[in-house]
Amino acid sequence: MAAPLPAFVTRRRPDWDALKELLDRQRAGTLRLGELRTLDVLYRRAAADLAHAQTFYAGTDVHRFLNQLCGQAYATIYQPPRERLASTLAFFRQDFPRTLRANGAFVAASAGLFLLGILLGAVVVLLEPRGAELLVPEHLRDFIARKEMWTDGILTVSPPNAVASGIATNNLTVTIVTFASGILLGLGTVFVLINNGVHLGSVAALCVHEGMGAKLFDFIAAHGPVELSIIVIAGGAGLMVGQALVDPGELPRGQALALRGREAVKLVLGCAPFLALIAVVEGFVSPGDFFSSWVKATLGLALGGFFWLYLLRAGRDAPGPTPVG
Amino acid sequence: MNSAPSPSLDVATPERVSLSLPVAGIGYRCLAYLVDLFILFVFWVVAYFTFTLLVSDVVGFFQGLSGLAQTLLVVGVFATQWVYWTAAEVLMGGQTPGKRLMGIRVVRVDGSPVGVLESAVRNLVRVVDSLPLVYAVGVLSVLLTRQHRRLGDLLAGTLLVREERIDLDKYTAPTVGAMALPTATHSERLTAEDVELILSFLTRAPELEPQARARLGTKLVERYGGLDEAGRATVLASAQSTEAFLRARVQAER
Repeated sequence: MAAPLPAFVTRRRPDWDALKELLDRQRAGTLRLGELRTLDVLYRRAAADLAHAQTFYAGTDVHRFLNQLCGQAYATIYQPPRERLASTLAFFRQDFPRTLRANGAFVAASAGLFLLGILLGAVVVLLEPRGAELLVPEHLRDFIARKEMWTDGILTVSPPNAVASGIATNNLTVTIVTFASGILLGLGTVFVLINNGVHLGSVAALCVHEGMGAKLFDFIAAHGPVELSIIVIAGGAGLMVGQALVDPGELPRGQALALRGREAVKLVLGCAPFLALIAVVEGFVSPGDFFSSWVKATLGLALGGFFWLYLLRAGRDAPGPTPVG
Repeated sequence: MNSAPSPSLDVATPERVSLSLPVAGIGYRCLAYLVDLFILFVFWVVAYFTFTLLVSDVVGFFQGLSGLAQTLLVVGVFATQWVYWTAAEVLMGGQTPGKRLMGIRVVRVDGSPVGVLESAVRNLVRVVDSLPLVYAVGVLSVLLTRQHRRLGDLLAGTLLVREERIDLDKYTAPTVGAMALPTATHSERLTAEDVELILSFLTRAPELEPQARARLGTKLVERYGGLDEAGRATVLASAQSTEAFLRARVQAER
């Protein structure tokens, strides 16, 4: 027979209060090593009390209180390992490139969709130049009609580091949207990839058609390879998410989604610093004619080459668990 | 007491006790979001006014100076949009300031705290949840899923649990006033539900309308008192004596 509720609370409450105080101290970071044992003992006792309350006092405030107390203690005791600087380094040395290689098929599919978009846009504009009115935004058409690059002006308006930070955040937003819209059964990502491809292809084709191909190449050459690679990788991440939704395999959809989501976001987080770096190039090097086209092209190819060399080689030999793919 | 079954997160601990944590619904989520939005808004208002106090010619200042200032501005806007949420959730144990105020917390579906990856996922997918406007997709997802999760939570494998402020003092509060009250003559033991009922009445009694207070008190005394006619009349003479008797009745149970 269970003790009456007030007696139970009066008898056990000191332990609960002590546990609560230890948990607060742990959160504040002032817990001493010797107190860990006490914390452990108190948690086990509270868990036993919870089991007792579940049986005899279900639905009372004491039951709810113990549930919450044990929940907090459980979260404190069974914490996942903390992410620190070392694990950040390990992430870029091994985890990120490995995850990318393990999911290479998705990145390839994403690249295919992007190329398809570029081809569509380019073919439409080259075969039927009036199609540009549909595909290329009006302010860009105005610039091209005047035989000017719309990028010539940006450095006269604001200094390069402001341009670079603006570009970086803009590109990060595009990357994030490309990845996140994968949650819409992958269709969002497919749309973003093809749409961006068509946009790029049609603008490029219009420039070539109007005899400004060299100017466009001059602007794109330095940052293009890495930037487009990153969009494609983010697209791959979005497709991973979409695939988990459409075909979760042997897992329940929810679990497959959570598992895939963790993997996919690694690709986006991994790309972020490279995106910031390439924005610096796009802000400082790409506009204007301080560097010649050939310098820009060489720089762009070198950066792109290094980026992919890193993605394909890094962490290949080092020991460590292979990521779940 | 739990009239409407509210969804909960059930966790099996290694101690072989199953926890069940209450899940935060759309109301808590919206309020926490609004609080966070308000904090960011205030931050920018304060930043703006400090800035305009320090610099008289704002437009000229922006055009004249300011590679660095413009960079800071762009980075600041970006940080408030994307980094604020994840940074707060990782550093504050699954809570943003708004969530802490509302007493809700982000946890993984197994009840453990969120890490960088989960938090990043759920906050990056925020951009889809906020489509097409005023979080329509997110709201639909929260309303339609059993554990009230938005798309970002589904992809990250997280959800929001509530932390209630539960007062245990009511169980241990001492009997007030040494009034000479008749004690129960033929009382049977109270069950846990009975104790809970009487205690929740005692907690709320001071805020009740006098009539309702008297009516409920009388009902409880008649149900659990076990008094004869004379004793009941003494006890029911005033609200104080009624409640003191009920408290003593609960305390007698230890």
